[in-house]
Amino acid sequence: MAAPLILAALAVTPIVLAGRGGVDLSVGPLLGFINVTLVKWLVENDYASPIMVIAYVVAAGVLYQIVIAAIIIYVRVAPIIVTLSGYLFLSGINLVVLDRPSGVAPDWMLDWGSGISILSPVFYGLIIMIGFWIFFSRTVFYQQIVLTGANERMAFANGVNIAGARFGAHIVAGVFTAAAALAYTALIGSGDPTQGNTYTLSAITALVLGGTSLAGGTGGGLGSILGAINIYLITYVLSTYNFGTVSGFVTQLSTGAILVLSLLVNSLMNRRQ
Amino acid sequence: MSKPDDSKGNVPGRTLLSQNVVFGIALLLALSAAASFLVPGFVSYTNIRSMLLLAAFLGIASLGQTQCALLGGIDMSIPYVIGSSNILLASLLNWGVPSFPACLIVLAGGVVVGILNGLLSFRLQGQALIVTFGLGLAIVGGSQIVTSIGSVYAGTVLGAVPSWLRGMSSVAGTTFGLPIPPIAIVWIALAIVVVTVMSKTPFGRSFYAVGGNRQAASRVLISEFRIWVIAYAISGAMSAITGMALLGFSGGGFVGVGEPYLFTTVAAVVIGGTSLLGGWGGYGSTIVGTLVLTILTSLLVGLGLSYAMQQAVFGLLIVPIVALYTRSPSLRDQI
Amino acid sequence: MDDLTGKVLVQNVSKRFGETTALNGCSLTISPGEVHAIVGENGSGKSTLAKMISGVVLPDSGRVSIFGRSPRDPMEARALGVAMIFQEVLVAETLSVVDNIFAGTDSLWKRSRTRAVARRQCRDLLKRFTETEIDPDTIVRNLPLSVQQWIVIARALLANPRVLILDESSAALDLDASARLHTEIKRLRESGCCIIIVTHRIAELVRIADRATVLRDGEVVDEFVGADINESRLLSAMSAKRIILEAKAAAASPANRVVGDVVLSATGLEIERGAPQFDFKLCAGEIVGVTGLDGQGHGDFLRIAAGLRAPSGGTVSVLGRDARDAFQVASGASGKSVAYVSGDRAREGIFPNLSIFENFSLPLYRSRFGEYGWIKRRPLKQAFDGEVRRLSIKVGHESNLITSLSGGNQQKVLIGRALAMEPKIIVLDDPARGVDIATKQELYAQLRKFADQGGAVLYLSSEIEEFFDFADRVLVFRNKSLFRTVPFELFSEHTLLAAMFGEPDETAFHPMREGFVRA
Repeated sequence: MAAPLILAALAVTPIVLAGRGGVDLSVGPLLGFINVTLVKWLVENDYASPIMVIAYVVAAGVLYQIVIAAIIIYVRVAPIIVTLSGYLFLSGINLVVLDRPSGVAPDWMLDWGSGISILSPVFYGLIIMIGFWIFFSRTVFYQQIVLTGANERMAFANGVNIAGARFGAHIVAGVFTAAAALAYTALIGSGDPTQGNTYTLSAITALVLGGTSLAGGTGGGLGSILGAINIYLITYVLSTYNFGTVSGFVTQLSTGAILVLSLLVNSLMNRRQ
Repeated sequence: MSKPDDSKGNVPGRTLLSQNVVFGIALLLALSAAASFLVPGFVSYTNIRSMLLLAAFLGIASLGQTQCALLGGIDMSIPYVIGSSNILLASLLNWGVPSFPACLIVLAGGVVVGILNGLLSFRLQGQALIVTFGLGLAIVGGSQIVTSIGSVYAGTVLGAVPSWLRGMSSVAGTTFGLPIPPIAIVWIALAIVVVTVMSKTPFGRSFYAVGGNRQAASRVLISEFRIWVIAYAISGAMSAITGMALLGFSGGGFVGVGEPYLFTTVAAVVIGGTSLLGGWGGYGSTIVGTLVLTILTSLLVGLGLSYAMQQAVFGLLIVPIVALYTRSPSLRDQI
Repeated sequence: MDDLTGKVLVQNVSKRFGETTALNGCSLTISPGEVHAIVGENGSGKSTLAKMISGVVLPDSGRVSIFGRSPRDPMEARALGVAMIFQEVLVAETLSVVDNIFAGTDSLWKRSRTRAVARRQCRDLLKRFTETEIDPDTIVRNLPLSVQQWIVIARALLANPRVLILDESSAALDLDASARLHTEIKRLRESGCCIIIVTHRIAELVRIADRATVLRDGEVVDEFVGADINESRLLSAMSAKRIILEAKAAAASPANRVVGDVVLSATGLEIERGAPQFDFKLCAGEIVGVTGLDGQGHGDFLRIAAGLRAPSGGTVSVLGRDARDAFQVASGASGKSVAYVSGDRAREGIFPNLSIFENFSLPLYRSRFGEYGWIKRRPLKQAFDGEVRRLSIKVGHESNLITSLSGGNQQKVLIGRALAMEPKIIVLDDPARGVDIATKQELYAQLRKFADQGGAVLYLSSEIEEFFDFADRVLVFRNKSLFRTVPFELFSEHTLLAAMFGEPDETAFHPMREGFVRA
């Protein structure tokens, strides 16, 4: 159940690592966009073969991120503003595509989320993606992203391909967002134009909780995974108490509080070192 | 060496600002013309009054956002504070608290949240956006828990809204016989006060000093910390007022009333021409931005665009406008 | 004609940054196996030239050719075998030593060597340079500056460069370490590398340079080869002009000045932990110059005197108060103590978003004309007009943006603002940076007048000829401490430059006469 959150947190990680205060605020709406367009455009038109679907979601995620990266690098607008407008744009578009939760996921996906056993296809998918992350984090390419994020001026002056690293970080983010969207679609079995947005904040919270600095250059995917699992567990524990109608609010309250607190702790620790 | 630098010589004062305002007003006129041509009933008496009302809500909510933007900050908790104060006020009234103290309590709550925002985001420089976002979410979660005590409907609070509050923000509202909703008068009064204070007092000018050059401001002993916290406190207060006014408008407490203000406040600030990096612009520009947005919304609605589509259009507008005013320097110049 | 593709050529390059010209038609040639030094005073364009060769800065006109190719960014320069060690110690503080040393060696997709090899190379290199074991996985933030400097040097040497550029690279190294660096440089020279050294340490370059190019105000003024390179020639080439100014200085020499009470005194002052301590006194009616080479502590001293930062040891008192309180008082009420004017107008002087008038009056809102209530425009306007007249500031309309003024006039507005606060002491941090001669002369005259009326002035400049016109004595800083005090009788380019470069004192003056004691 925590799969979409873990994947979304991993999606934000390379962009934050690449520095410049870049945080992808649009990760949630992008997830939602892939979810609703998958349900609306592909399934309803019977283009629902697994290959077709996977090709589509990855292409959508990657293309969007390439556009965002190009604006950040060449127009030199602060990344946070760019992704903020992306958030606004996509959350509007999502509602245009699908005005309320409806539709069905591709047939072959339907039984994925319904299984009670932990060993569902979503779980295997998650393991594959985490494997991919571990591979990615050992590549020289990942190192170039971290170098760029840790000190962009140093990296530039020493001939690191910073534009390439930044584009790459966004592309990887696009792939992980696509995976998160697939997992999300499998879990809810339909399309939902608004729920995706909530992933922005929880993914960032997971990342910060995992010890990645929003200033870039330090941290990593493992922390984000643990952070996401933590948030999921907190939510889960909270939901076992019977808060009745307010349980959703308790979640909101705790997510917000955890985010602010972990930011504070992070900054205090950085200052002490 | 006796003349001002030729390249920029003899530019009239506050060039950028006045250009933006001129641009904004031109946009305003163009939009109005287009709307009255394309949308039947745009210039009708009722439509103008309802636009004025909506502009007043947005205008008040954007006031605090403008103050934060002048310092290079941003307040993303605005929609949450609006939603929270909306349902809190409704609950307080339901619980039998007289309306005047109830309003004061909510207002004070808004200020406290604002101060908290200011303190935390000052400590976590450069992350104001995330901090205020997170805090806002916590606040809205908390206030929903409080308001849903003993209620089955969480998130919405039904109950009698006093008639004076309804009158405040009703399209048909009148003020001393004038056919203008009182909340619009409140907005106009606030605007006059803010614009005057910002241009005529040392306190107001401090915002520009800090936004223009923080280091230079500290050299002339302006406390960046104090100004920063005050800006967020103002933002909290204005969000609370907007939330309360919206209760009068809708007649029932609903936590989601704030949602649209998440981005429209930022859009109003940016379209008006206040730089998000601080120092340039001001509330006068934001008023123009507010009117532009209101008329644009009315136009888009008139053309049959859904709320979602409007949001998408606003999203597309922000990047080019920001790119026009503020781009980061190239790396080559920083080594 | 020579085979130029084997050389580094700089052909007639020019570069402007906003109002200032950094380089104006410079040309030079660097041959393989040659150590080529570029010298000049602060701001003569040396660093810009070095950055241009490494592709960081692109010329506005002219061309840099490295073995026949012109790199457009550091990545391309690196591919041609260019390595540069920057003046600033450019490290990623949050990453490990090995990550820092190998930054830029790998392409996006291909690793140049395995991590294990990289670790071993890193350990060996640092052991050779620093003579201590350093764990390649240490986070750089936790290492001392000298080791960080070696990391930067190791990064450059590791690439087996065909062109090596060193921009003040030995600044953070002690003598012993510099000697080791020189061994490395000689080794590279043997192997046919083009080596470009930008340095302030004249003695050092005399020892190792094969050729020296002297820059002044962005132009090449002289070039020496081999045995012709010696200290006195270099010093005089760097400062050859200004005969007119020196003549003028003689006329305006501040002889027989009446000096009043001590207004600022420092005892046992320690600028940085471990730096030598010193004492200092400033009296009413005095103008004291402060100078030194980049990063020698004179800037820090000025900030301490102005109360902007605390010293690591010792005390500073202004009119009997602690300096930091005195600064607060300066803007709280007029006529009390210290006003500070920065030459770094863009960073800590002007408010680029405000008008000329507001830039002038902003600090006065709170001091003389009440913190609360309305801004009292009339008295401010009078003060403004008064200062505009006094400093003959060329303002267009007062409501124009401050950035519509030239640098010199912006600076005058800031100085007018400081004077209008009616302080006892004015501390100026290189206020004449990028300001033309006429404006400088006016500034000196005004400061002289201020001192004559009982004020005291601390004036930092890196252009030593500024002091000839009006300073009573000059404090020369070196190694984060006061190195020598030069009284106005002994002012000359030579004595001041010699002190800055740490030459032994030939004039045998008596420190006690100047009222300070070297710790």
